Amino acid sequence: MSDTAIEASGLFKRYGELTALAGLDLCIPSGTIFAMLGPNGAGKTTAISILTTLIQPTAGTARVAGADILRQPEAVRRAIGVTFQEIVLDRDLSGRQVLEVHGRLYRVPRAELRRRIDELVHLVQLEAAIDRLVKTYSGGMQRRLELARGLLTSPQVLFLDEPTQGLDPQNRAAIWDYLRALRGERGLTLLLTTHSMDEAEALADTVGIVDAGRMVAEGAPRALAAGLGADVIRLVGRGNAPALASRLAAIEYVDHVAASPNEQLLDIGVDNGPRRLAEIVALANEHGFAIDEISVARPSLGEVFLKYTGRALRD
Amino acid sequence: MHATFVIWHKHMTKFFRNREELGGLLIQPILWVAVFGVGMSALVGEAVGSDYLSFMAPGILALTALGGAVGGGMLLLDERLRGIMKEYLVAPIPRLSILLGNAASTVTKALFQALVILLLCAFMGVRPSGGMLGLLGLVVLLTLFTLGFAGIALAVAARSKSIMGYHGMIFLFNLPLLFASNALYPLASVPGWLRVLALANPTTYLIDALRALSFGGTATLPLPLSFGVTILFALAGIALAFGSFRRAVHT
Repeated sequence: MSDTAIEASGLFKRYGELTALAGLDLCIPSGTIFAMLGPNGAGKTTAISILTTLIQPTAGTARVAGADILRQPEAVRRAIGVTFQEIVLDRDLSGRQVLEVHGRLYRVPRAELRRRIDELVHLVQLEAAIDRLVKTYSGGMQRRLELARGLLTSPQVLFLDEPTQGLDPQNRAAIWDYLRALRGERGLTLLLTTHSMDEAEALADTVGIVDAGRMVAEGAPRALAAGLGADVIRLVGRGNAPALASRLAAIEYVDHVAASPNEQLLDIGVDNGPRRLAEIVALANEHGFAIDEISVARPSLGEVFLKYTGRALRD
Repeated sequence: MHATFVIWHKHMTKFFRNREELGGLLIQPILWVAVFGVGMSALVGEAVGSDYLSFMAPGILALTALGGAVGGGMLLLDERLRGIMKEYLVAPIPRLSILLGNAASTVTKALFQALVILLLCAFMGVRPSGGMLGLLGLVVLLTLFTLGFAGIALAVAARSKSIMGYHGMIFLFNLPLLFASNALYPLASVPGWLRVLALANPTTYLIDALRALSFGGTATLPLPLSFGVTILFALAGIALAFGSFRRAVHT
């Protein structure tokens, strides 16, 4: 097994006029969890489709589990597991049959297959339902079955496209637990995409922020957020945001300012939020910025996103 | 072709579990044979020599094979639209086996229906005339015929953007094909232009051969020719399907 589970260089994908990926680079070491964070339409699903050999890039190269996606696609497919954004289970089969078909497609020997199915069904807690038809499962159960299916073939790399989308908080937390338990076990590498900051913060060793088909920032969640200062004061309102932003940036205790002009939103990284709040408010009033909302918080990936893309990442 | 078998097996599992699909498949032949065949027999009997049911039975077999082919394409389209196809595409299996698995289950279901029809015909007094050899020939020809049309249906299904779109293209695979053949009337008794059309229709060759092999008729076209046309048709259908599928998948 190579040390780098996934590497990609200059991945481009164009559909006629539309550019889905505009030069994406990746270098993900084995045994880590990498989260691709970005809004819908950022190119995350396209990236996963290319890395899992579902579609071919317009330009660029990539290697997954040591195999070239263009020249050795079958080797890639043998080494990976995938769960997709939509639920792609055959609803007229039982959960067990779904897993059996999958295992047989990948030529897992029968006795070994039976053992793995039992183990994974136990892991995702579907023992009670596993012999019922998939159409009787709730959304959360279907996602868990998909997770079991993705792991069934003991992949080196597991790709998860929006793994908890549309799930209630309880199911989400349960799936996060399973994924965290998997990290480091059997050297499994996880690449997941998400538009939820919570999810990226909860799971990832490394976060890659993707916007408009490009990676705009990359790093450990804490490190990325720490680069913004100790606290972040967020102002939402109406007025001349850019002017206020440049005034604030000049202040010595202000670490950085990110302004999103369209949404009249300002994130101000300061050394101590509560202490600096009054002065910031006063300055806003002086510069004709009417504040509708204020909040003070430790910096999160939402603020990182704003800093690098100029837009707010709505959950 | 291990993956072909796995996919075939999955389709057959779903088929036998799905009571609606099973029922529909059985009711069709019953309607054709018992209602249309017997009814027409009384009316048309003298004009065609042997009884009309024997004359028409190959046409019924062809019709159900056509229906099966359309259903097979529908299954592929359904799996594509619901994303189940993605599971096949990221698995380490040859892309061809996705098509072959589907074609195999389509043929299996068509032969299953053919069996029902033959039993029904026997019940109505139409016994297979050519013995075991004739029946073997029937199975081979029907398989090839179904493969050919399954191939065309799959080729359309691989590129269709919606279920409505698919049916829009495929509607010809039913009565029109039957009318433009010798299924319902002998070739000799139709006007010249229709005869030309019929001779360009693979269905005509299948039916002519089946009549000679199993339904007490004589071949108006040479048997080797009919076999040859059907074999070529099967190969062409599969090639078409593969080409279309490849283009659809390589985005």
